[in-house]
Amino acid sequence: MRHTRPNAAHYVVLAVLAVAFLYPIWWAISSSFKPAADIIADPLALGGPTLDNYRAMFADVPIGTGFANTALVLAVKGAMTMIFCPLAGHAFAKYTFPGKNALFGVVLLTLMLPTLVLIIPLLLEMSALGWVNTYQALILPGSVDAFSIFWMRQVIAAIPDELIDAGRVDGASELGVFTRVVLPVIRPGLAALAVLTTMNVYNDFVWPVVAVNDTAHQTLQVVLSTLAQNVTGNRVGADFATVWGELLAAGSIAMLPLLVIFVLLQRHFISGILAGSVKG
Amino acid sequence: MRSARLSPYLFIAPFFAVFAAFGVYPLLYALQLSLTRWRGAGEAHWVGLGNYLYLLTSPDFWASLGNSAVMWLLIVPVQVVAGLGAAVLLANAKLRLRGLFRVAFIAPFVTPLVAMAQVWIVVFDQDYGLVNHVLGLFGLPAVGWLTSTVWAKPTLALLFLWKTTGFAIIILLAGLQAVPGGVYEAASIDGASRWRQFWSLTVPLVRRSTAFLVVVQTLAVFQMFAEPFVVTDGGPYGSTTTAGLYLYDHITASDLGTGAANSFLLVLLVFGLSLGAVRLLRPKDGAS
Repeated sequence: MRHTRPNAAHYVVLAVLAVAFLYPIWWAISSSFKPAADIIADPLALGGPTLDNYRAMFADVPIGTGFANTALVLAVKGAMTMIFCPLAGHAFAKYTFPGKNALFGVVLLTLMLPTLVLIIPLLLEMSALGWVNTYQALILPGSVDAFSIFWMRQVIAAIPDELIDAGRVDGASELGVFTRVVLPVIRPGLAALAVLTTMNVYNDFVWPVVAVNDTAHQTLQVVLSTLAQNVTGNRVGADFATVWGELLAAGSIAMLPLLVIFVLLQRHFISGILAGSVKG
Repeated sequence: MRSARLSPYLFIAPFFAVFAAFGVYPLLYALQLSLTRWRGAGEAHWVGLGNYLYLLTSPDFWASLGNSAVMWLLIVPVQVVAGLGAAVLLANAKLRLRGLFRVAFIAPFVTPLVAMAQVWIVVFDQDYGLVNHVLGLFGLPAVGWLTSTVWAKPTLALLFLWKTTGFAIIILLAGLQAVPGGVYEAASIDGASRWRQFWSLTVPLVRRSTAFLVVVQTLAVFQMFAEPFVVTDGGPYGSTTTAGLYLYDHITASDLGTGAANSFLLVLLVFGLSLGAVRLLRPKDGAS
């Protein structure tokens, strides 16, 4: 790029943008620690700090259940993605076998399939199986996804064939080559896959809200959305401020885990985001 | 070497098992469903293309597409221009604090959409919201950000922009950094102005990443669901009933045949739009 030194205007523009991006997050988190009445009375001021909003929210909303359900879905779905997607990527990157191109074509085709088209028939399939309001309904659909396979194929294709042949010569089985030669080499790619998968599963909303309608199985995002609907339905209620306080407390606590992971592992986040753009 | 011949098939089997059970099967089922009239219970009646014809002549269907089209106009051009601008600033090798700016820009992308949608409800509330409070400090009247048919779409578009522009910046920045620095030095020696350099060098060279961005965001905007679902519930007066939310309404109404037909029409539209975008933005030399 050009090597002209950036002037003050550059920094001002970037700083204004940065504040615009961060302020809503900061406002939500800081307001969640204010007395509920103050959120409405003076939204700009800092107040408290108090944990009243959090206490009220925990008493009102099954957010703990939401966290537990999300954690369970994340653990199983994440494990399936982390095991099966690199494995399939390895097969497409390092083997020649009859039908390979056609099968990989199918993987690429499903990349372009919008999630929305499957929602209704999947819901009917779940009810035919008796799986509405179950964990398997939340976990199985989309659990070994095409994008991750495509991405892992790119990552594994970059490994020199000599390395893999050397593993074979050493007497490793086909699976052994994968676990002892391939996996250690692609560790950074796996870390990025883990981070991106965590974000996608944690934030997933459309399918969970359709597949589950009982409190016992609701994921965190679904629990949050029911709280928001209470607010829109409760406009004339006397406790308007209290509900807002709960809303901000729930939102803040839901943001926290991913923000922490992001700040700690931002390099992996960014390479995960960029992995998508190379497919164009 | 029997295991060597079998193993690649075993390695890809999990994907195809999941895809067959939760991809191919529901897809075929949806195709059949879209040709029947069925209310989720009782007998399904074969209606041929009836559901498709019903949708294509339904004002509500076109209104939902119209709402999504307006959303697209409010989001995609703004994001491409703002994203390119920010990416050009960030790409400067002598910029300090780049890491900090980058973290700030991507942070919204990491936050859960539902949580931020709730924050939007509170921030843009007509009576007690932060935005109208600030307007009030300057003596300006309160705006019905989420309650007026004029403002509800831009307010939701802003949520989408706030959340995903950092993603756009990262994609475009990567495109920019693939541009060799020597190209610019040659242009400077030739006396090309900064603007001229931007339009004739930078823009063509980031076409590929711009095309990718436009395709991804077109898909996302036409499937937009959580924003109107949580913040406005499609209102006021249906003005934020996007194509994605309209599709969901068929589920709530148990009108599943029509819903399936609607899905396919939406997929055709989205495919068409993506192909169009790719064609328009493809580099002139044909190398993609």
